[in-house]
Amino acid sequence: MRFSFWEITPVALFIIFVAPVAIVLFSLTGDYSENWSHLYQYVLTRYILNTAYLVAGVSILVTVVGVGTAWLVTNYNFTGKNIFEWALILPLAVPPYILAYTFTGLFDTFGTANNLIRDVFDLGREFTFFPKVRNVPGAIVVFSFTLYPYVYLVSRMAFINQSRTMLEAGRTLGLNKFQTFYKLGVPMIRPAIIGGLMLVIMETISDFGAVDHFAISTFTTGVFRTWFGMYDIETAKQLASLLLIFAVILILIERYSRRNASYSNAMSLYKPLSLTKLKGVPNTLAFLICFTPIFIGFLLPVMELFYWALNYKLDFFNDKFITTAWNTFYLALIAAFLCSVLAVIINFSIRYRGNNYLKVMSSFLTVGYAVPGLILAIGVMQMLTYFDHSFVSKFSNFVLTGSIIGLVLAYVIKSYALSSSTIESGYQRINSRVDDVARTLKTSGWALLAQVHLPLLKTSFLTSILLVVSEVIKELPATLILRPFNFDTLAVYTYIYAAEERMYDAAAPSIAIVMVGLIPIIILTRMIRTSRPASRD
Amino acid sequence: MTALEIKDLSHYYVKGKNVLNDVSLELDKGEILSILGPSGCGKTTLLRIIAGLEKETSGSVHMNDQIISDHYHTVLTENRNIGLVVQERALFPHLTIISNVMFGVSGSKTERHSTAMRLLKLFRVDRYAYNYPNEISSGEQQRVAIARAMAPNPKILLMDEPFGTLDQSLTNQLRVETRKILKDNNITAIIVSHDFDDALSMSDKVIVIEDGTVIQSGSAKDITHISREKSVKFSSIKANT
Repeated sequence: MRFSFWEITPVALFIIFVAPVAIVLFSLTGDYSENWSHLYQYVLTRYILNTAYLVAGVSILVTVVGVGTAWLVTNYNFTGKNIFEWALILPLAVPPYILAYTFTGLFDTFGTANNLIRDVFDLGREFTFFPKVRNVPGAIVVFSFTLYPYVYLVSRMAFINQSRTMLEAGRTLGLNKFQTFYKLGVPMIRPAIIGGLMLVIMETISDFGAVDHFAISTFTTGVFRTWFGMYDIETAKQLASLLLIFAVILILIERYSRRNASYSNAMSLYKPLSLTKLKGVPNTLAFLICFTPIFIGFLLPVMELFYWALNYKLDFFNDKFITTAWNTFYLALIAAFLCSVLAVIINFSIRYRGNNYLKVMSSFLTVGYAVPGLILAIGVMQMLTYFDHSFVSKFSNFVLTGSIIGLVLAYVIKSYALSSSTIESGYQRINSRVDDVARTLKTSGWALLAQVHLPLLKTSFLTSILLVVSEVIKELPATLILRPFNFDTLAVYTYIYAAEERMYDAAAPSIAIVMVGLIPIIILTRMIRTSRPASRD
Repeated sequence: MTALEIKDLSHYYVKGKNVLNDVSLELDKGEILSILGPSGCGKTTLLRIIAGLEKETSGSVHMNDQIISDHYHTVLTENRNIGLVVQERALFPHLTIISNVMFGVSGSKTERHSTAMRLLKLFRVDRYAYNYPNEISSGEQQRVAIARAMAPNPKILLMDEPFGTLDQSLTNQLRVETRKILKDNNITAIIVSHDFDDALSMSDKVIVIEDGTVIQSGSAKDITHISREKSVKFSSIKANT
């Protein structure tokens, strides 16, 4: 049996993508050191409990905020509704660790907010208006107000596709507006909400920057401490494996919920929702409900960052910033280009060959997005160390581990899902009969890809690059571990300054990260507008 | 010389559920054959097998007395020298009309250009040569699609429901035009359709397929006669489509 490039590439990629994760999981079968016993006896329960509190609190808050705001902007017409529609996604541009840094800068005892209130009301230094934020409830707020857009986005798409007739049937059966929302509207889109919620939980358990800044012991901070404090990589891997198992369970739930998502969408009976105009108190309430998450998750941190940047560090575009920004952008561009090229090759292979095993392989490649960056970094580091010792050490030490190869590999594995879904949706818009005709016109393989598919996938390819760039720029834990010596990115630059409580110096890189993070939001906003069923009528 | 011969061809996607059963047919150079049948009867699958886009489960396909597909041999689609026209037209949206028609033609740029222009003139769409597909009407798009398929001078032209999405008057006009061009250029063609009128007005031979089996075959006149007499079932399906 002969295999072509289109069949071998997905397999090779699968091995490369799975190897780092397998290395981490394999540690569970090894010996357990004294450090493991220590962790098990004294801190593991705290890691589990803190992570569980975070997950529970964040889940409740993002569901309330995400679903509630999505329902309002989809079903009602109120002041600012057209702006809220897209502005509610803005907090996605702010990584949780940047919101954590700005929250401490704002609400700490001598933070901007407390100082302002003391100045306005002429109060003494002992007076503190806001509660402490460096704790689990503070972290819940931080995660919730940066991650709720995941739930908002899926809920909004599902609500948009909900037919008016179903909701009107509820009204005729005696439900009031609120009952229609929680007895009909929400249950009908439950699979979509669960899908969004799983993404939020994955992000929460993978986070390192915010929980580290708030000094909350979770699995990720525990892995870091075990590795860099106890110098015990094996125990760190074992701890990371537990986190990975949890992530795998979440992936399975997310996939399962997506499988059931179809019942929320009866397109054949579709009638677009008609918006109810709100006036008076309900109008003000709806405005406040939608404005608050944008204020906490986006406006407040951005205002604080600009306040720091402009008042304390006017020369923030210094050499260090420019070097770091350049490092970040070229790394992100390399990773984004690789991700997009690989996504094109894999999706083309599936379409061209039409084998079921390629589809299965491709779906495995996309689960990297759910693997915490920290775990990927440990696996990639171990893999490269092995290659360095086995093959390259004859020439020089740390050839691979000391380079950006590991970093790029981790970024590609983590972000491949973004590229793949973008290219896949691009391919769905190309009629498969185009391929049939092209083949009868003596065009196949690379020629078919280059002459027919690539020109038609131009926009998807560019979108994929932008999405990956904005994702990679925010990535922190993997970058911290895998970066070469004396090589900083904007996220690392921000982390180091924030860790040293030099918030003003952290402002410039943070602003840059947020600005780049706005790119996918603009793309998402356009996609939502064009995908709205009502717009096709 | 026989342009196309199909011998005892059967095909299934799920074992035990044949899409085609022992189909055999012969087509001489310059002849036009219509394959008629209701939706899902297997006629498009037969066309895809001739084009090499599907591999038959058993049987063989011969072109110009050479095997192009059987249990042991498979000539790839791109090497079969076949033209394909589909209902959706499938014009390349990123290319101009002239570039679409030049796409499969080999030779120097000047030669390719003059071939494409000649065909566009033949189909009376040369004035749109430098427009994009979305800038012309669906009837014009269909003319371009046929011109594109004919441009590489294929041994056989396959047309899958070529006029399926067009209105009746345009369909009538295109049937006449297309048959004339095919006959003038001595092109062997197979037209898949569920429409009796396509078969009557365009083809020399007709086969009728139902549930993957050839139930009638003969000249267009014979089939009209037999169908009027016997084929009540297919007519009723046709009336519903």
